[in-house]
Amino acid sequence: MKLNEDDLYRTSTQFRQWSFTAEQLAAQRAKTNLQATERVKLNVARQRAQRVQAAELDSTSGNSGIDGSGANTPNAVTSDKEVDCLTVTEEMTFVEEFCERTMALGAHCKFSDNVIATCVQFLRRFYLYNSPMTYHAQNISRTAMFLAGKSESEHQSLDHFATNISSEKTKVTPEQILAPEYLIVQALRFNFDVKHPFRALKGGVLDMMSIANGKYEGPNHSIHKTAADLSTAIHQLPRKTGGLAAKATSQQLADRIMRESYSPAAQTLKKTAALTDVYFLYTPSQIWLAALLLADEPLVLFYLSVKMPSTSPVYEKVIVALRECALILSSHRSHQKLHLPADEQARMDAEHRAEVKRLIKKLKLCQDPDKLDLVKLNQAQKRDAVQGSDLDVHKAKRRKMDRENFQKDSDTFWGPELPTYGAKPA
Amino acid sequence: MGVSSPAALSPRPKPPGSHLAVPDRAKALSGLSRAAKPPASAPITRTPIDGGEADMAEQMNDALRSQFVSGARLGEGTYAIVYAGHYRHDPTKLVAIKKIKLNADFKDGIAMDAIREIKYLSELSHPNIIKLHAVFSTKDQNLSLVLEHLPLGDLEGLWKNKSITYSSADIKAWSNMLCQAIWFCHANHVLHRDIKGNNLLIAADNTVKLADFGLARSFADPGAKMTSNVITRFYRPPELLYGCLHYAGNADMWSVGCVIAELALRQFFLPSETDLQQLSVIIDVFGTPSEESWPGVGSLRYYQPPPNRSAVKLPQPLSWWRGRLPLLGDDGIDMVRGMLAMDPQKRLTAEQALQHRYWTSAPRPTKKENLPNEGGGMKKEGEDLKRKGGETPAGAGRVDKVARKLDFGGM
Repeated sequence: MKLNEDDLYRTSTQFRQWSFTAEQLAAQRAKTNLQATERVKLNVARQRAQRVQAAELDSTSGNSGIDGSGANTPNAVTSDKEVDCLTVTEEMTFVEEFCERTMALGAHCKFSDNVIATCVQFLRRFYLYNSPMTYHAQNISRTAMFLAGKSESEHQSLDHFATNISSEKTKVTPEQILAPEYLIVQALRFNFDVKHPFRALKGGVLDMMSIANGKYEGPNHSIHKTAADLSTAIHQLPRKTGGLAAKATSQQLADRIMRESYSPAAQTLKKTAALTDVYFLYTPSQIWLAALLLADEPLVLFYLSVKMPSTSPVYEKVIVALRECALILSSHRSHQKLHLPADEQARMDAEHRAEVKRLIKKLKLCQDPDKLDLVKLNQAQKRDAVQGSDLDVHKAKRRKMDRENFQKDSDTFWGPELPTYGAKPA
Repeated sequence: MGVSSPAALSPRPKPPGSHLAVPDRAKALSGLSRAAKPPASAPITRTPIDGGEADMAEQMNDALRSQFVSGARLGEGTYAIVYAGHYRHDPTKLVAIKKIKLNADFKDGIAMDAIREIKYLSELSHPNIIKLHAVFSTKDQNLSLVLEHLPLGDLEGLWKNKSITYSSADIKAWSNMLCQAIWFCHANHVLHRDIKGNNLLIAADNTVKLADFGLARSFADPGAKMTSNVITRFYRPPELLYGCLHYAGNADMWSVGCVIAELALRQFFLPSETDLQQLSVIIDVFGTPSEESWPGVGSLRYYQPPPNRSAVKLPQPLSWWRGRLPLLGDDGIDMVRGMLAMDPQKRLTAEQALQHRYWTSAPRPTKKENLPNEGGGMKKEGEDLKRKGGETPAGAGRVDKVARKLDFGGM
């Protein structure tokens, strides 16, 4: 009785709710961007009109300083320019930047790689259905980190976490962290489980080591029939696809697998995979194999030939998917940088930073004015709910009875209530 | 009304429900402010904090919520309120709606139990695990879980109900469903950490379904620490009682063994009053562990070697088991003892348990449609679902057997 990993994966929320084709992703992002753009423009127009109205009122009553906060740094409402919203590409760059900052934040808070990776995926999922113009990534990322900690059994107490992420410049209150929590879990559609490729990469590499050591016992579809044959074959793999076969010593092979292949692949997964769309587009096993493919193609191709018959039509499909996934990874800035000289790297970083700076500035002038203060928004929502008479009659009745019983009991014990001086009958 | 009395001058302690003054006041205040402003001006004076039209995520949530109709209240616990419900489009499709209560003691937002339960039930899809149809939040930011309708009580209720008689074949059928459920959890790298009779609910067709994933977690990375303060005491394995911080599926398997023994015994198998006593109850049956019988036991945090030779207890012989659990037969006893090996390394895994000869030897497990049941009705599920992990129904024991005193720092 063995569960098929594919079947298991197909029942996961990651597959059912969070796997897309590239076209679906693009369409959803366009939709989210459009909705947010319309809303920002509408809300800005409304608030500007309110401001004018309020200003008129104030000028008649002689009151001044209606808006103290926006005096020196104009926001979307206080600016007099037409609202210029972020494009989808700009939104993505912005979210990506905050994913990177979130990684640093997570490391600062001493969360495990697992929590950090989950948090980044929470953010990416959140911003599939929300625009950073509506909810600023700064607010959302802190809460997502707190939530990821709870979800991955690495809960840090709210107070501790708030202190941890506060700096002298920016004080973060527990209320600020909790305010968008429901917003986030709702956008995540209550799916907390994120399947990462890290453990599978470790497992795969150990599997390759067992082939190297001649102790492999798994399925074998290759031309090398015995474990010893497999071991010989893996020792003779060329370093580059199409390269010359050269016999390696066991030590060289172990170094190749554990150090030269595993380490860079693990780095790719930790950083680049998190910053691209690969979690939405590919399965965890495709992602780790693609990351390893970038590090050592002959090794991965050999491994695949052991795992499935190369005559099978699925084999070709798998290779194509891996190459596509690897291309996404290798095209990303964080991966390209690795193979460039230092000055080239510095130039890329500077370019990126300038773009981010521009976006942050631009976002200030197109941030949805209705969603600036999440704490107030959250309070208002809860209050509305109470207004909406959620205290059902049953509950109210029971509570009244509790109160009356308590009064009776305490009257018998304490004696009746003393008349209060100066109390007037209402 | 009581709220308007000058509470500040009263020498009494606060009456129950007095904290309600806050929402009451908020209601009153908002009523006032609404009255002060003519409603006609609402569109233009709409404050920036009321949010405007719904987010896409909110719309999806509302659409989901409107699929279900919530009915009578079935029960209320400290952790949740359970309602009967059904699909709006088909009133014959019944569900149980578990509304997680806001926990006043937990200041850190959405409760861990709720997150765990939602997280794992969303991923686990198996006939012997309670199905989570949907999750939605209500305006007042409460989470509601729409769960499978399981009206026939639970395994603990079954063995306690003396008006029901059942056979070895029935025990085998129930036990097998339990083993399949836990095997599926472990195959998905999920530890349940609170397996016990009253978390094993029974569907209308007599299928046993594992419920309450409020303490569940994923298998930890090798070497990572987990809390040892989980699993309701009667079902807690010795390594956890000794404070072991590294464990895996085998911790759940001990609980499974206890549940099966309980079914056969129609009593709690290893009842105790305290954690310390739990250990001595276990040792009375399984003998004092030693480095020979359980390598590494001496290095566990709370391990105490026996003070002298005479304090060393020997494990009960097979004849004791035959006398105590006759309904299991020799094969059943062998399997249960395999699940209840003191050394977690020697304990049967869920997969090994499912391969045990007990399942294929006579008598064959009873077919589901022929299993005896309590016919408890919807009310019973309300009782079962409203508990949080580690709670046992009132009357099961006088003392607190609650597993849930989680030390989140040590997870």
